[in-house]
Amino acid sequence: MAKIGVFICHCGENVAAKIDCTQLTAAIGEHPGVAVSVEYKYFCSDPGQESVKKAIREHGLTGVVVAACSPRMHEATFRNACAEAGLNPYLCEIANIREHCSWVHTDKDMATIKALEITRSLVEKVKRNNELRPIEVPVTRRALVIGGGIAGIQAALDIANAGHEVVLVEREASLGGHMAQLSETFPTLDCSQCIMTPRMVEAARHPKIRLLTYAEIERVEGYIGNFKVKVRMKSRSVDMKKCTGCGDCMLKCPVKKISSEFDCGLGKRAAIYTPFAQSVPNIPVIDKKRCTYFKNGKCQICSKSCPINAIDFTIEDEFLDIEIGAIVVATGFQIQNTAMYGEYGYGKYADVITGLQFERLASASGPTSGKILRPSDNSEPQTVVFIQCAGSRDPSKGVRYCSKICCMYTAKHAMLYAHKVHGGKTHIFYMDIRAGGKGYDEFTRRAIEEDEASYVRGRVSKVWQENGRLMVRGVDTLLGRPVEVAADMVVLATAIIAQPDAKEFAKTVGIGYDEYGFYNEAHLKLRPVESSTAGIYLAGCCQSPKDIPDSVAQASATASKVLALFSKEQLEREPVVASNNEATCAGCWGCVLACPYGAIEQKDILDRSGRLIKRVASVNPGLCQGCGTCVTFCRSNSIDLAGFTERQIFAEVMGL
Amino acid sequence: MSIVEQYRTKVKELLSSGQVKMVIGYGAGTTPDRRRPLFMRSPEDADKMLLDNACIANLSGYLVSEGLLSDEKRVAIMLRPEGVRSINILAAESQLKAEQIVIVGFDTAGEELRAIEGSEAKDFCALIDSLKESAPLQAPDPLFERIVQMSPQERFNYWQEEFSKCIKCYACRQSCPMCYCRRCIVDSNQPQWINTSSHTLGNFEWNIVRAFHLAGRCVACGNCDRSCPVNIPLRFINRRMGMEVLEVFDHFPGMSESQEPVLASFKKDDPETFIL
Repeated sequence: MAKIGVFICHCGENVAAKIDCTQLTAAIGEHPGVAVSVEYKYFCSDPGQESVKKAIREHGLTGVVVAACSPRMHEATFRNACAEAGLNPYLCEIANIREHCSWVHTDKDMATIKALEITRSLVEKVKRNNELRPIEVPVTRRALVIGGGIAGIQAALDIANAGHEVVLVEREASLGGHMAQLSETFPTLDCSQCIMTPRMVEAARHPKIRLLTYAEIERVEGYIGNFKVKVRMKSRSVDMKKCTGCGDCMLKCPVKKISSEFDCGLGKRAAIYTPFAQSVPNIPVIDKKRCTYFKNGKCQICSKSCPINAIDFTIEDEFLDIEIGAIVVATGFQIQNTAMYGEYGYGKYADVITGLQFERLASASGPTSGKILRPSDNSEPQTVVFIQCAGSRDPSKGVRYCSKICCMYTAKHAMLYAHKVHGGKTHIFYMDIRAGGKGYDEFTRRAIEEDEASYVRGRVSKVWQENGRLMVRGVDTLLGRPVEVAADMVVLATAIIAQPDAKEFAKTVGIGYDEYGFYNEAHLKLRPVESSTAGIYLAGCCQSPKDIPDSVAQASATASKVLALFSKEQLEREPVVASNNEATCAGCWGCVLACPYGAIEQKDILDRSGRLIKRVASVNPGLCQGCGTCVTFCRSNSIDLAGFTERQIFAEVMGL
Repeated sequence: MSIVEQYRTKVKELLSSGQVKMVIGYGAGTTPDRRRPLFMRSPEDADKMLLDNACIANLSGYLVSEGLLSDEKRVAIMLRPEGVRSINILAAESQLKAEQIVIVGFDTAGEELRAIEGSEAKDFCALIDSLKESAPLQAPDPLFERIVQMSPQERFNYWQEEFSKCIKCYACRQSCPMCYCRRCIVDSNQPQWINTSSHTLGNFEWNIVRAFHLAGRCVACGNCDRSCPVNIPLRFINRRMGMEVLEVFDHFPGMSESQEPVLASFKKDDPETFIL
């Protein structure tokens, strides 16, 4: 015989204002199987939880229904309380009479009736609840970090410093990512490379970190604690064991006029190259698309110039299979191609550049050794116009979202320019100055007050060339009049966008993404660094545009998640997983296709002599996330979900 | 030689050469205008075989009878084009292997009985492709048009009246090649989602659930409709669902044995973020 305890929470006035809790308590007390029903102001408080525990012990309850707020809020709280009182936590259910009732209704009588129905429905469900035990899965204590930018490096270092093995995979020839390209960083103006390169070297030298550069993830299989990852080591055509990084090959290579990706097209590189001088590892790769030997079969000058014969054109791509327990995705971002704004003339006028190109100009290791020079004639610009939101917050041509870092780096650019070109003039066209962050608003004020950045609130409608200068026409919305500025250089604060292959990559790894290609977190506020797939975490700009402090903080957060996972040998999983009735399964495999987590496999049923009798579906509880998609698909009703069984749902519906 | 004679010769050859262990075809029924399935195991059985415009039942459902295909021996079956599509769906849903089935194709569309070339499901791809192209223009039916024109309330009332005749005999299920589940959802009683008693609610539940289970799988063979003892025009429900699936998902069931079931498959680049 069921002995259900019902605990009706006032939630202060949140519930009690719209629901007559005393009436509800009395009415549900009459319901068959309800042994005790009580009301209280805050059941989630300590004395509230104690009273639930006491009732379980005193009445020998077989199930508990807490009629309160959303199970999102306090299901875990009350399930823990039940467990402490000796009742299996899965025999506790939450009837949501706050979000689903009191908050959305005004008529108290009607709301009380509805609250009674909701509670009754959960009482009927809990009568049919079963005791469930957590599922234990073994954990491989080795992490994979995908992406060798600042976020990936930080996550790898944090995990490795805690004593666990890390495989750090970077698809470019060197670690560094976008941060290595930057000049000085806001709000402290410390040199980006000066703070970045020690981290790169530390990661490369760390005994617990296995660094795989010029490598890509081919395939990810398995589940939390037990991933199997295939990595493609792209052939560098340079023997990494032999090469000393002397750089002779790069100097001798006859193909020298390739526009450098690292310098955003402002510098040149050879066909055999390292992306930048401080590359880690300092071992070049051959750009096979541009290399004369790979194109025509002749040349090999690099090979001849190499003093230790490290160049080997026959090296092919290699594949590594690695067992991994947790994955940190830190694949970064790209910037939008601003050529879509025909009116700004990017791509047409050499002196209209992007913010990232300005970073290269301002960088001491950049193509101009840190001098701000016009790409068209190498002269020093006397007036520079910055256009903010050149792509961001523009649903018609660019992207709808704010790229978050542009207000800050534009202020920084104006400042760097003022420091480098004395007497130079800056005009910044902006929509809003978004400078939320420690020291950020002070920083933009400094740009305005000390470095005389002239902010013009308004958009630019057109940039055109006249007498060797760039004419910028915009509007000053605060003065309400058009503005025209003759500039020597125009810098566009381009939008941060997801990597061009972000969606494809999400499918390879098995995580969700939004309409823009940024990866989805499990919960924007409460689980911001977890992806929707257990055991895969997100760090840096692959999740959303963010600055360096945020990327680093998020990377450390993923490390803490990974370390928590690695803290035990066995991993406990929620037992809310599907299972299949093999006797009634028709073997149509609809569930196998429908499962978004690849958790359902085909299983052969054999007789004693090993002959195949039939094939049925079988759910891997380690992979199953309990979403229930297979349950809704199964025509023969063979699949059931623990904690939400057909019988429970039916009772819940009938209880309404 | 008439088509019937040609097919008898073909059947005899298939059986006497041992290429197949059985040929499923049509024999005489209880009245002159009716045909019933004929299971031919020896060449002599072929003499009882008939083939004419009355051979309209889709026999493919017999192939999934328990144990028939488990010895891996081949079985031949006489099918119209929609029957071939059924074979493709059954193969796609792993109920049979398409290469185990020898198809003796014919078509009764129009007045004249025609033979169709091909011996395995994959030989009929071009034919099925052309069926997809013409699917939306299928023979108009005045009653169907009338139902489509009705307001939702009128349509609800119409079906309520039709379903009130249902006696829950499940002949529709038994005759449908797609209803191969070992245990039908209606026979599952823990819990009893579908009320088995023959009243309006239970009848609605049964017929609507069956329509949903056939969405993207029905080939409009008409077996359910013909087998219904109380003449509920079941084909219209399934035809409407079929139109919907074609329009929304561009899915025409039974195109090939590798076609993914429309309601079970999803595309990872589907912009609907709720999937993951």
